[in-house]
Parts: sequence; structure tokens; C-alpha cells
Amino acid sequence: MIQNHKTISTRPSDRELIISRIFDAPRALLWSAWTDPAQLAQWFGPDGFSITTHHMSVKPKGQWRFIMHGPDGRDYKNRIDFIEVKEPERLVYTHSGEEEDQDVEFQTITTFESLDSNTTRLTMLSLFKTAADLKFVVENYGAEEGGKQTIGRLAEHLEKIRA
Amino acid sequence: MMIFTALADPTRFRIVEMLALNGRMPASQISQKFTTSAPAISQHLKVLKEAHLVSVEINAQQRIYRLNPEGIAEIEYWIAKLRQIWERKFDALDAHLKQELKKTQTSSKERKK
Repeated sequence: MIQNHKTISTRPSDRELIISRIFDAPRALLWSAWTDPAQLAQWFGPDGFSITTHHMSVKPKGQWRFIMHGPDGRDYKNRIDFIEVKEPERLVYTHSGEEEDQDVEFQTITTFESLDSNTTRLTMLSLFKTAADLKFVVENYGAEEGGKQTIGRLAEHLEKIRA
Repeated sequence: MMIFTALADPTRFRIVEMLALNGRMPASQISQKFTTSAPAISQHLKVLKEAHLVSVEINAQQRIYRLNPEGIAEIEYWIAKLRQIWERKFDALDAHLKQELKKTQTSSKERKK
């Protein structure tokens, strides 16, 4: 039986959140899943959402602009600005909405750590200045979803894997 | 003043901790716990109040402070949401990676044939 690893989260300070998870896949594969728009479309959108990437340039000062299409027909514009790109181990970026003047400060440091040739630990450190920034990011790229769907989606994946 | 900036200060953080522990405290009692001057503490309390982290009620000559559950709950709520979002994305990523791996395994098997 295939088991998913657990997602672990810690709070080093009141305005930081660390989320990490181990994946049974080589680091290079995990990196491409994060940096290839075709692959991102397969997993990055919340349940019931699809993603259209308009532009993606994974390099310092590069951007990833994408729209999440909600099941209710609503579109959520998203923009990720890459600050640091060190293939295949580190991605630092800020997240904001499409409007240039939006004053959201939400930075994420994602590290890809190779544990062995077929196991990778992914760690995301999110830093936010205000509760409003946190709220913005959650609403924009997480959209609103209930916990029920988490379990539903997990079960669905397990089915897919077993098939 | 924003909530996290409000909490980033060690004195204010201690005040929040103290209120969490003791429930209600008059301003004078809070000041006594610090070597900092009373006006400085009252400034910190003002910041915490503006960030909706504490609330105040005036009782005779005393200003009594307590935690404002609204402000505290707001952070916790959004943190929990963010955590949920990533857990879900990670489940999807896991499934995606497994499929990608299956693809490479199948193609290498086919090459062997």
C-alpha cells in the first residue's frame, strides 16, 4: 500500500510559518513540477480550479503570472515575482495580485532537499508582515475551501494511484 | 498598526503573554511587571489596542486590559487556512509526481523491449 507522507508545520515566530513534506521522487522531478507551467497546471490549483499561465520566467526578477479559474466562474489573478532561483534547490519569491500598486508583502522561501536519490524534502518558509497580507494570499491563491474537500481530494488521489 | 508589527516587539509580546495567562489586568499592574516607564508601557498598550490584540474597559479610575479574541483568532484563522491550502496542494503534487514517475518507468521498460 502506498502511503502519503505527512505535512509538517511549525511556527518559528508569530509572522512565520514553515510547512514541509517529504516526497518519494528525485529532486530534479520535484523542481520541474514547480517550474514547468504544464506540470503546475496538474497540481497547483485548488480543488475544482484550473490554471492558465500567461507568462512564466523562472529566474531572478522573473515572473509567473497566472489566472485561477474557480468552479463558480470567478477568476483570481495571481502574480509571483522570483527573487532568488537556484536550481534545483532553492526558490525565493513574493506573491501578489495582478495590480502593480498592491502593497502586499508575502515572501516564501522554498527549498528542495535531496534525502536520497529518490526522496526529496520540500520546505516552505512563509514570511508575512501583516494579517492582511496573509489573508490576501489565502483568499487569492487558496480560494475558500472546506476541510471536507481535503479528505475528498486525498481519497481521489489514492484511487488514482492504486488504479 | 498592523497585528504582526505589534507583536514583533518583545515588550508587547510579553504583555500579550501576561494577559493570556492572567485574563484581566489593570494598566498599573501591567506596568509594575516592567522596568520601563509607565508612559512607555501605556504607549505599548495603545499599539496593541489599535492592532485589535487587546481591549480595554474603564472601571472607575482604572483601565483594565484583556486579550481581544477577535485579533488573536484572526491570525490563527488565516494561518490554519494557509496550512490547509498547502496540505491540499502537496497531496495533489504527490499524486502528480507518482504519475510522472510511472511515465518514466513505463518508457524505460518499453525501451528495454
